[in-house]
Amino acid sequence: MELFVIFISAALVNNFVLAYFLGICPFVGVSNKLSSAISMGMATTFVMTLTAIVSWLLYNLILIPYNLDFLQIPSFILVIASLVQFVEMVIKKVSQPLYRALGIFLPLITTNCAILGLALFGSMREYSFAENIIFGLGAGAGFTLALVIMAGIREELDLADVPKPFRGAPITLIVAGILALAFMGFAGMI
Amino acid sequence: MNKVIQMLMVLTGIGIISGGLLATVDGWADPFIIANKKAETEASIFRVQPEGKSYEALNNIGFEAYKIKNENSDNIGYALVYEGNGFQGKIRLICGLSSDLNKIIALEILEQVETPGLGTKITESPFTEQFKQLETSPSINWVKGVEPSKPNEIQAITGATISSKAVVNILNQGIEQMRQLRASGALQ
Amino acid sequence: MKKQLSSWQEFTKGIWKNNPIMVQLLGLCPTLAVTVSAINGLAMGLAATFVLIMSSLLISSIRKIIPGQVRIASFIVIIATFVTIVDLVMKAKFPALSKALGPFIPLIVVNCVILGRQEAFASKNNPGRAFLDAIGMGSGFTLSLIVLGTIREIIGSRSFFGIKVLPEGFEPWLIMILPAGAFLTLGLLLALVNYYSIRKEREEHESIIAHYKRVGREELIEELKVN
Repeated sequence: MELFVIFISAALVNNFVLAYFLGICPFVGVSNKLSSAISMGMATTFVMTLTAIVSWLLYNLILIPYNLDFLQIPSFILVIASLVQFVEMVIKKVSQPLYRALGIFLPLITTNCAILGLALFGSMREYSFAENIIFGLGAGAGFTLALVIMAGIREELDLADVPKPFRGAPITLIVAGILALAFMGFAGMI
Repeated sequence: MNKVIQMLMVLTGIGIISGGLLATVDGWADPFIIANKKAETEASIFRVQPEGKSYEALNNIGFEAYKIKNENSDNIGYALVYEGNGFQGKIRLICGLSSDLNKIIALEILEQVETPGLGTKITESPFTEQFKQLETSPSINWVKGVEPSKPNEIQAITGATISSKAVVNILNQGIEQMRQLRASGALQ
Repeated sequence: MKKQLSSWQEFTKGIWKNNPIMVQLLGLCPTLAVTVSAINGLAMGLAATFVLIMSSLLISSIRKIIPGQVRIASFIVIIATFVTIVDLVMKAKFPALSKALGPFIPLIVVNCVILGRQEAFASKNNPGRAFLDAIGMGSGFTLSLIVLGTIREIIGSRSFFGIKVLPEGFEPWLIMILPAGAFLTLGLLLALVNYYSIRKEREEHESIIAHYKRVGREELIEELKVN
């Protein structure tokens, strides 16, 4: 039950993009086509779940027992960077089609603040191992959902007559604002 | 080969310097951070137990609670820190309890992520004032839209009923825990 | 080889022409998240500026000994170190602010403005120019945060830097301090910046046409219109 609440909270109520503003850069950058939004969302969810596992182990098995929690930020970011590289290498070896679908998005993920945010939130909230994995999955699902909805809207927007100064980023942000309002309707589910 | 050695040397050098620097800064900052945390807890304890002069943490009870003493070192009650789910996330609060656990002295919300302007009203005095001298037995109740008529009732905030209800539920759960501890004799 | 900018231009380009938030759209996450009030915006801006200046100075001084293959890793470790220092100092000396900004101080590490400036500027220029660039970009970032924070604070909670400026009779717009308000305000601000630059471009265009007309080179106007 507690795990379900964490999942719903991370995916919908406290959506990483629309409530915490994490991962805005890819949100604005990659959300103009539905197909790339889906790939980006899947790649991010995958890395987020792995990050949740690895950062939890690092934090609770190394940093805390040896009183090194001041090294939290540098070690988390290094772990994420090497994780992304590793995932890229593995996918390239294992599945070429998957690599073609996700490959170009992987390097972008290193600088996606949603990943570091996830690792930091997880250690701040003192989640258990299972809770942290579910938190990672939920955050990834929420990120994908926001990205896909946004891409769907933007594909339609391409056909609309948007005033010139609003084209591009401004209209994207305004649509995101309306989406954030809509997502507030999920509050109270937990 | 030289290139690889240089790469390793630079990375190791940066790593060692950064680690050393951080260890130094952490050594300097840590006492302040601990003192800040302690001062914060202390201030909130004495805000919900204004008569208290000293406090003592209750250990090994599974949650955070303090025994409060006045200037004659008599036990005048407890301060209970408890948390639970609100409308959008965790609500963490501290409340002062009389020594028989049947009355709330005062309440303060420590952390919450409720809707700004609506749910956040639970931190403001019109709402928290209602808990002063509130009776907790058999449990706290909330009413909506009408003035509370019983000594164990509070009025929920219009537009933030769920947040208000959450605060009442968290309090009831926490006080229930305290009662169980008391029944098992662990409070002495 | 690009023309070298003067020191003054090096400094001011970050404030207006290449403003990291309004023009380059970098570092939007902290921008949107912390700007519920002007003071939060200022604190976040100063923290990021400090990290940016220190990392730019250090990286531009040691740029020649960092091998190209490991430069990103080195940059990230250096930035993360300065961020941790800021985080610890704020926790120790400004606990209230540190609580308000929450996890967004650690997230300065992945602020694209900082890594971006290291990669695009500090790793290629001497410390003096890198310092000017960092101060300029930092000021541009901080100013944008303050502007956004001020708008949201005044309309959303009737105050400016914590001082009440609007009368009680004005009902604060809750939406401004909600996440949605952050998106809407920034969207409108960006549209305003776009509107301004589109108008400026058109004016320049028209002045060129006028110039061609004066010198009687009508055929060049046609060429301009085609482009």
